[in-house]
Amino acid sequence: MVLKIHGHAVAPLVRLVAEVCREKEVPYELVNVEVYKGEHKTPAFREFQPFGQVPYIDDDGFILYESRAICRYIAKKYASQGTPDLVPRDPKAEAIFEQAVSIETSNFYPFVLGITTEKIIKKHRGLEPNEARLSDLVNNLKAKLDVYDVILGKQEYLAGGSITLADLFHLPYGTIVFEELGYDLLEDRPNVARWWKDITARPSWLAVKAKA
Amino acid sequence: MVKLYGFSGSTCTRLVALICKEKNVPYELTSVNLAKGEQKAASHTAIQPFGQVPYIDDDGFILYESRAIARYLSKKYPNQGTSLTPSDPKAEALFEQAASIETFNFSVIVAPIVGEKVFKPRRGLQPDEARVTELLASLQSKMDAYEVILSKQKYLAGDSVTLADLYHLPYGTAFYGLGGSFAEVFDSRPSLSRWWKDISSRPAWLAVKDGA
Repeated sequence: MVLKIHGHAVAPLVRLVAEVCREKEVPYELVNVEVYKGEHKTPAFREFQPFGQVPYIDDDGFILYESRAICRYIAKKYASQGTPDLVPRDPKAEAIFEQAVSIETSNFYPFVLGITTEKIIKKHRGLEPNEARLSDLVNNLKAKLDVYDVILGKQEYLAGGSITLADLFHLPYGTIVFEELGYDLLEDRPNVARWWKDITARPSWLAVKAKA
Repeated sequence: MVKLYGFSGSTCTRLVALICKEKNVPYELTSVNLAKGEQKAASHTAIQPFGQVPYIDDDGFILYESRAIARYLSKKYPNQGTSLTPSDPKAEALFEQAASIETFNFSVIVAPIVGEKVFKPRRGLQPDEARVTELLASLQSKMDAYEVILSKQKYLAGDSVTLADLYHLPYGTAFYGLGGSFAEVFDSRPSLSRWWKDISSRPAWLAVKDGA
């Protein structure tokens, strides 16, 4: 049975899962969830994802949610095909990978999600952005990206010399903030700019941007 | 001996200490005085570029990000102390799901509440009560989902305790300790309450909860 991704094609974290499936050459079927009509908040949906969020996958009856968990599962299940070592196996390389994943979680995601919430999600709900909060978020993100520039000045990717899930996790919300919303935070950070150009040029990501 | 660089009272430092206790891994704490800003000193940021605690030095191997350190120690010592990371592929996927739930459906809300109500007063600042009210409201539906999950299984990833459960302890304890409507969030939900009492009474946590 083909892997089913339940979600909406525009949802950033649905696109993340699609991207990793493509990296690993895993065919998938996107089963549309009408998020704009609140389908993900219905009891029927919550049977599968109790938090009422997308995506979740159905892998031949095995249900899994939380996009980063799904990505790890796909990367490990199909370790021997597609882009290699998206989750490294050597114990020290794996530890540095986990450090990089945690860096994205704590030092990138909260800020890019916050900016997206203020500028896009609130707009959809007819609310005005909180400008003070937005300013805070952007300033914090800048400070964090200064550190990224140091790290990426010493190595090609966040976990070392090869691309891993830790880099790919930045794609969905990074694209929204740097490209769609046009926050030009990379110009003064040449190493981050180099890394961002590299990961956003991956054929798997370009394919998902065209059509998840 | 694992050298743990952090602050005895810091949530993330105590998380690493907790895992060391669970895994019977001896550690030596070197204090980084957060109140004096020692984490921002050049000697510290040369090792932890974000200027945060903790980091470890395991026989010359440096690692930061507390959850990455927790995973590294759990995997390095699979056969001693409590088993905290499953190896079966599906059990592992469900562990990753649970670990992601903690980060994105619990800590993202609870950590800022603790920041406002516990850390700010310590620095002589006023909590932003409007923000706390908003955060607490958003926590309720997340905890409803936890209640559903924990009514079907003993722990967040299944019937055995994993890192995903333990990750909740440092911020969760500070949150629960606020009493009143905060403690009520756990106390009013029977399965969640049962789980909270279970994990918060683990000897390893009791050994470090008041200082790493």
